[in-house]
Amino acid sequence: MGKKLKFGLVAVVASLSLVAAAGAALHGKAATTTLVFGASADPVILDGALVSDGESLRPISLIFQGLVSLKPGTTEIVPQLATSWTTSKNGLNWTFNLRSGVKFQDGTPFNAKAVCFNFTRWYSFPGPLQSDAVSYYWSSVFGGFRNPVAGSPGPDKALYKGCKAVGANKAIILLNRQSGGFLGALALSVFGIASPQALVQYKADAGTVSADGVFQPTGTFGTQHPIGTGPYMLKSWKIGDKLVLVKNPTYWGNANSPNWSRSGKIDQLIFRAIPDNAARLQALQTGEINGYDNVAPQDVPTVRTNSSLKIVNRPPFNVAYVGINQSKPPMNNPLVRQAVAYGLDRAAVVNAFYGGRGQTTDQFLPPQLFGYAKKGVPSYAYNPDKAKSLLKEAGLTLPVKIDFWFPTNVSRPYMPDPSRNFQAFQASLEKSGFQVTAHSAPWRPDYLGTVQSGGAQLYLLGWTGDWGDPGNFLNVHFGAKKDQFGFDNASLFALLAKADAETNLAKRTALYQAASVAVMKFLPVVPYVHSTPALAFKSNVKGFIASPVGLDPFWLATLG
Amino acid sequence: MSIAEIESQTFTLETPTGGLWHEAWRRLRHDRGAIVGFCFVSVFVLAAILAPWIAPYGPLDQNLELITNGCCPGPSSEHWFGVDQLGRDELSRILWGARYSLVIGVVSVTVGLSIGVALGSIAGYFGGAVDNVIMRMMDIMLAIPGLLLAIGVVAVLGPGLFQIMIAVGVTSIPIFARLIRGSILSQREADFVLAARSVGVPRRTILGSHILPNSISPVIVQATLALATAIIDVAGLAFLGLGDPDPSRPEWGAMLTNTNEYLQVAPFLAIIPGIAIVISALGFNMIGDALREALDPKLRGRA
Amino acid sequence: MLRFIVRRLLLLVPIILGLSILIFLWIRALPGGPTQALLGERATPESVARIRHQLGLDKPIYKQYWAYVRTTASGNLGVSISSRRPVTTEIRERFPATVELAFSAMIFALFVGLPLGFFAAKRHGSAFDHLSLVGSLIGISIPIFFLAIILKYIFAVRLGWLPSVGRQDVLIEAEHPTGFYVLDGIVTWNWNAAWDATQHLILPAIALGSIPLAIIARITRASALDVQNEDYVRTARAKGMSPGIVDRRHVLRNALLPVVTIIGLQVGLLLGGAVLTETVFAIPGMGSWLAQAIFNRDYPVIQGGVLFLAIVFVFVNLIVDISYGFLNPRIRVS
Repeated sequence: MGKKLKFGLVAVVASLSLVAAAGAALHGKAATTTLVFGASADPVILDGALVSDGESLRPISLIFQGLVSLKPGTTEIVPQLATSWTTSKNGLNWTFNLRSGVKFQDGTPFNAKAVCFNFTRWYSFPGPLQSDAVSYYWSSVFGGFRNPVAGSPGPDKALYKGCKAVGANKAIILLNRQSGGFLGALALSVFGIASPQALVQYKADAGTVSADGVFQPTGTFGTQHPIGTGPYMLKSWKIGDKLVLVKNPTYWGNANSPNWSRSGKIDQLIFRAIPDNAARLQALQTGEINGYDNVAPQDVPTVRTNSSLKIVNRPPFNVAYVGINQSKPPMNNPLVRQAVAYGLDRAAVVNAFYGGRGQTTDQFLPPQLFGYAKKGVPSYAYNPDKAKSLLKEAGLTLPVKIDFWFPTNVSRPYMPDPSRNFQAFQASLEKSGFQVTAHSAPWRPDYLGTVQSGGAQLYLLGWTGDWGDPGNFLNVHFGAKKDQFGFDNASLFALLAKADAETNLAKRTALYQAASVAVMKFLPVVPYVHSTPALAFKSNVKGFIASPVGLDPFWLATLG
Repeated sequence: MSIAEIESQTFTLETPTGGLWHEAWRRLRHDRGAIVGFCFVSVFVLAAILAPWIAPYGPLDQNLELITNGCCPGPSSEHWFGVDQLGRDELSRILWGARYSLVIGVVSVTVGLSIGVALGSIAGYFGGAVDNVIMRMMDIMLAIPGLLLAIGVVAVLGPGLFQIMIAVGVTSIPIFARLIRGSILSQREADFVLAARSVGVPRRTILGSHILPNSISPVIVQATLALATAIIDVAGLAFLGLGDPDPSRPEWGAMLTNTNEYLQVAPFLAIIPGIAIVISALGFNMIGDALREALDPKLRGRA
Repeated sequence: MLRFIVRRLLLLVPIILGLSILIFLWIRALPGGPTQALLGERATPESVARIRHQLGLDKPIYKQYWAYVRTTASGNLGVSISSRRPVTTEIRERFPATVELAFSAMIFALFVGLPLGFFAAKRHGSAFDHLSLVGSLIGISIPIFFLAIILKYIFAVRLGWLPSVGRQDVLIEAEHPTGFYVLDGIVTWNWNAAWDATQHLILPAIALGSIPLAIIARITRASALDVQNEDYVRTARAKGMSPGIVDRRHVLRNALLPVVTIIGLQVGLLLGGAVLTETVFAIPGMGSWLAQAIFNRDYPVIQGGVLFLAIVFVFVNLIVDISYGFLNPRIRVS
């Protein structure tokens, strides 16, 4: 009995170890330099023209490239797929000289035809793709479609007129009117050039509209075959699990940056979605991720004091503000708006909540942008008594009832804890003659939907710049009538339009300075902080230069 | 909700007559669990009632200067439970928070109990098709996991303290309905009922004067347990963002959720409300448990 | 027996029908409705009217319901607004995660709860008995998400013993034929992956299983106490049977009956608790999916997901009912 048992035992152990060894052999890990980055959500789709959220744009900005880009860490425009450009005398035709010898990740050549194919594709989007929920940036920059459906602007309203390919290396973009911000907009990842062959082969525009009205892409371009010219390409993407990018072996930049083949460069980038900010920090501490974005101000000291972690600052390029909807009385009364401005204790909020990483501000523009007014800006320092007297002057009985909205379920770079900002503002407003009713909604779609359609009287919001021009701050918000702000100020619109059309830098600066002061006198919003967002990494991640607009050059970082 | 439902299925309670109430009370008095539970509950209720007088600060009084050096200063002599991320005294907020939890618990249990007992009585009284329809409705309600049902109700009603109370109350309706119906059904064939019927006492009177009073004890036990669950479920709803839209109100569940981001720098801000929730729920659970043991006829005669 | 099963199955029909009506009405009762979610900031009156017509929302309600039943019965649960993928695809990917989590939680609850309750009953009145009673009471008094946060903070962040997020380490290459990560690892002979997946399950299973653990312990204890004092057990002991055999053959077997019923009912608890647990541990299961869908007003997801879960729940209860009928002949006859 004993011998049989012993023999049986040995047999079992032997077979188990065989199986274990076989398993290990089948699934051994190869050694590649991998960076695991904690994102706040899964990307929606890897097709730049169809998205506007930061988490989709992060991998998109690594797979695709536009005609121009920004110098890492700045908003300075530098050549990318276009090496140089000229404008015609009337400013309506932009000629781009394209880089030669560039190939898409599927081997097809990059040329002028490819550029025009992409622009034409965006301009010719079919009906379901024309809604702001899908193609926000094309609408907001180029403003129109070739075959508009009901509710969409057509060729008459559009900035974009057409695209002409001249030879292999010259592409001409035709505009309907002058625009100072056009070039900067081209640096956006949404306007990255994709391989025409892949777009067609994998049916990038194909899709059905379900019974619920949702556009469902049936092609696999944006989910499995996003082909661009960028330094990284898609290896695999499983929603809810991870998105894996690997180095593009035929990247044109290899030849130009010998540093690329230096050891330590990141061969593999893995993005995993961890929705909760506190959970991202914990995952970094346990080593499950190597880095994440939007570190909460109170966590910065925690990261700094941990010797295996480090903080990388993102250059400040944002603004947080209390928005005012003037279509909801008494907000149409300038005295009331001034009372709101005097009633917000902005300095206390910035000093207490931003951990030294916020700069209290009196202007909508961040100081890094030209056009930031150096003088003449009215200052509304916290003064509850002045607020009360202004309200009385406006003929109102105190306390004045107002509805104040803030978003839940979100952490923005300029507003890490919206609920906290809200509560502090609520308290100071209530000392200044107001009675605040709290309203909240989850960030997307409810909060944004309510605020942007004019449903909120007072609300917390902000803005991170997309490119280095004051128009991206002032014109986008105050250049035309918007439901969000509910006002129709013809002189302000005219001033901003004039500033945007001005191509001479000195004159443009002066005009925008005047506009900035005018905005603060009109008070459609009360800005309160420009913050310095932070990313956290393991200490062995070096050379990461954070971009003010979120175009982070992962290819420059090394794992030491 | 579901927990109480599960437990109620395995235990049947006979209603005590005068003598049994005495015996139950005697047993309760000596039951250590009941005493401890009673202590917890009294602390909770006293805190809720006396909060305006014993709280050292106002629950909404912010003092941003206290947190300029970062969040957040922990327990100290001026602030026994420390200070939260807006400079408010945590002890005062906990005390005032007891009021919210108490009101929420009582209101939601009342909602569930009254509607549930009414529906269950109707089903048991009329029997037949009415019974079938009502019980199928209860089955459908039970087919949706409790938390999801509460979320569904809040989604329709919108966020707000009152709406949450209704939502949590609604989830306990099927349990009370089933309880009462079961009690009525089991008593319908009892001797005393048959005797009363044969004498000509109308069914209504039998139901109101005999059957319902006899069903009180399981309902009481259930109500206590449901109170405990209500406190916990409201915290869960707050965690999912479906709580009170005004974040400055010192409701424990919201306090627990809003401080999740400060866990690394000020863990006490999350731990203290959490412990408060646990202690209150525990108190009610202990009492409900002890009540059930005290009223269980099967335990009669056992030490 | 067959009649019993058939009767039970027939009962299902009105329940599922009732569920579909309830969910259908509920979606339309939600503030803002499906149209606002789709249009968001571009909700002009014309586009709202256009979408309403597209979705058939301007038809009479019974026609809408009939259309809804037809599309649902054909297996089409719509398309998610946030991810733009079919709801059925998402369910297929996320359901295994939740099942794996719930299953692990139940195993944890059973493995710890059954012996706990059993031995507490054996040592009735001792300190162990009292402690286990109090412990189980505490178990049902702790909010699941609170427990999850504390477990994560202590064991993952502070001690570093276990991972804090997800189902698997991103650096591990593994195939997933079944969708149950632990099983996948075993089936593909990838022990690393199987062990890693197990590690990711431990903390969430403990948090989720805390309440079922408490309940199982209490019910086992109560039931074992009852059986222990039954005459036939006393007779067996008096006859001189060894306590171990008495325990196994009589007490345990009969004490388990109520526990079996409980298991089915706890599925509902587990599904509700999964919503909270998955959110804390960032597990891509149906719980966190539904929670996010509610925030994002993703109506197709909510509609399809809740209906699916409810039907699963109903079927599980049916199976429990039937198996209880097998175990306890008295139920069959009633």
